[in-house]
Amino acid sequence: MTRQTLLGLGFLSPALLAVVMFFLLPVVLTVVFAFTNMSTSTGILGGAYQISESDLRRLPAAGVSDEAVTLLEGAGYAVQPETLALFAAEFGEDRASELEKLHGGATFDDRRAMERALKELRRNPLRKVRDRKTAAELFRVSILGQRFATEAEFQTAIADLGVPDPDRAALTTAAYTGWTFTTQNFELLWKLPATWRYALNTVLYVVLTLGFNVSFGLFLALSTFYLPTRTAQTFRAIWFLPRILPPVLYVLMWQWLTWDQGFISAMMRPFGIEPINWMRHTATHAWIFIVLINGCVGASLGMILFSSSLRAIPETQLFAAQVDGANRWQQARYVLLPQMRWPILFITSYQTLSLLTSFEYILLATDGGPGRQTEVWALAAYHTALSNYGGNLEYGLGAAYALGLVIIGILLSALYLRFFNFRELVAKPRIEQ
Amino acid sequence: MNTKGNWILILALSLISAPLVIMYGFQLIDSISRPAPGGIIPQEWELTNWRFLWTSIDSARPSIWRVTFNTFVFASSTALLVCAFSITAAYALSRLNFSARRFFLAGLIMLHAFPTITLIIAIFIVLQFLGLYDSLMGVILVKAALELPFGIWIMKGFYDSVPWEIEMAGVQDGASRFRVWRELILPQVKPGLSALLIFSFLAGWSEFILPLVLAPGADAQVLATYMNAVIADDTRPDYGLFKAIGMFYALPVIAVYLLFQKRLMNIYGGGTKG
Repeated sequence: MTRQTLLGLGFLSPALLAVVMFFLLPVVLTVVFAFTNMSTSTGILGGAYQISESDLRRLPAAGVSDEAVTLLEGAGYAVQPETLALFAAEFGEDRASELEKLHGGATFDDRRAMERALKELRRNPLRKVRDRKTAAELFRVSILGQRFATEAEFQTAIADLGVPDPDRAALTTAAYTGWTFTTQNFELLWKLPATWRYALNTVLYVVLTLGFNVSFGLFLALSTFYLPTRTAQTFRAIWFLPRILPPVLYVLMWQWLTWDQGFISAMMRPFGIEPINWMRHTATHAWIFIVLINGCVGASLGMILFSSSLRAIPETQLFAAQVDGANRWQQARYVLLPQMRWPILFITSYQTLSLLTSFEYILLATDGGPGRQTEVWALAAYHTALSNYGGNLEYGLGAAYALGLVIIGILLSALYLRFFNFRELVAKPRIEQ
Repeated sequence: MNTKGNWILILALSLISAPLVIMYGFQLIDSISRPAPGGIIPQEWELTNWRFLWTSIDSARPSIWRVTFNTFVFASSTALLVCAFSITAAYALSRLNFSARRFFLAGLIMLHAFPTITLIIAIFIVLQFLGLYDSLMGVILVKAALELPFGIWIMKGFYDSVPWEIEMAGVQDGASRFRVWRELILPQVKPGLSALLIFSFLAGWSEFILPLVLAPGADAQVLATYMNAVIADDTRPDYGLFKAIGMFYALPVIAVYLLFQKRLMNIYGGGTKG
């Protein structure tokens, strides 16, 4: 390795570390998580082995024989040396030996039967009901509701219980509370009608917003191009603000404009129009404002880029057009616009990608509502995995949603690489050592 | 011939800019006044909307000064990290001839275009693994890393515009490449570096989604999530209060922007949000 390479890699290494940690690793993990059923209930760090009473009903479907299920269900309370030792530690040796004499080796189906057996202690009676309840629990041999930290412990426990050998593997799988690998996320996405709805919403959102961005950006750039500098600067500043204002505040201003005691409602009142929430009243209202909110931010980017490329066009061309009698519209249409092809293409491709994946403004404005009518794909991923009212966050399913966007992102940014004049960019450094 | 045309243009522009101007205007007015009940015309000038500065607006909420401090720490740390990592990495990509340079450059362009927000679910789980979930530290690292490709891209542009002759002269005089970078090239890109610093600071100051998802607790709250929580928790919207908080939140942004407008314009052309 040359010195140059060492220095180069040394200079890059802090950035590389960050990129690996927070770009490459998350990309790989998104793929991995998309194939798991990870959620709040499975946790993210693996799990334990546990069968609860309510699990029993779904066991036959998971391939466990009825015999084993009855065994799990029936196993209740047993007076064995192990349980007696526990009982002795808690309530004294005398009671334990008396109980052993009375019921040694007996089993009971439920707790009530066990408590009755405890009631029969004559010489050392357990008088309090609460004590008998506590004592009865000590004789419990059922594994229902019991947590086993490792697979081996669980295996031993079910073997002791006498679960037939062929059932053990299926039972262990069913008892695992952690996440497992599965393809059912994708099956679910394919089957759910909502998925198609979100995909359609996303297309609608991208197409409408992009159209607004490009046409408004162009209009702003072209019209301020012709105005005196100071006037042009004022308008540019007005349209630039949405870009630098924090999104939370920017959307708040729109919320105020549209809520039922806000500006629009107040303006409409003299005309006898009932006050409504103009942003959330119907899906159409919501869509209009989502496009406007995103559009004003996007249009300002278009405005900046288009303005600077307009300034790069030689003025002599405009003079020539003017001499030939072209009016402003004709100048814009035949002289300026044809030379704007690249900036327009750039904005279109750049914003397609960022609109496809952005959900910040929609989250703040309508949160996907009314109903789920303005829920786009990226917002659905967010809602599924990171924030929902049900409380069970489905990381695996959310990752499956996100995976679609990650793939589109990688493909489009690879395409983007071709747009750039890459050869010029990688021109060899000129100092050779 | 153009005066009449100009007036038509100005009229058209004023019409389409009107909603924005109305929103800006009332943002200012409503924060320092009280409108007539059910109306929008301000009745009385008053500062009660700014009460969040000296009293707590409700019991469970952290103090605004604590939150502002968090926001400042978040924004300045990310800006410093982005700058520190970008100045070396961009120099290597711009000027040093090492074996994998082509590969890293292609990677940079792809990362620059790649929509990072799609990774948030995986990052959320990575932070849980690392034990950095719900801490300011975690969000700082993530935000800095996600801004990094943009920072390197911008800094590379600044390095590219430094004339080769300066470097050649240094190397001719026997200085090492490292010394040439530190003593000759760095002073040349200082304006670019300060622009990137300001830009990253503003980006951190305005960031909403990352703190919302990665640090939702009260201890690591920043102004964006604080303001969002105040708005979301209120059953009867108090726009005067919201707007005053918003004003407080946005003032540094507007001040910084006005002060450094010229420098920032270069970077905003590069664009980071849709």
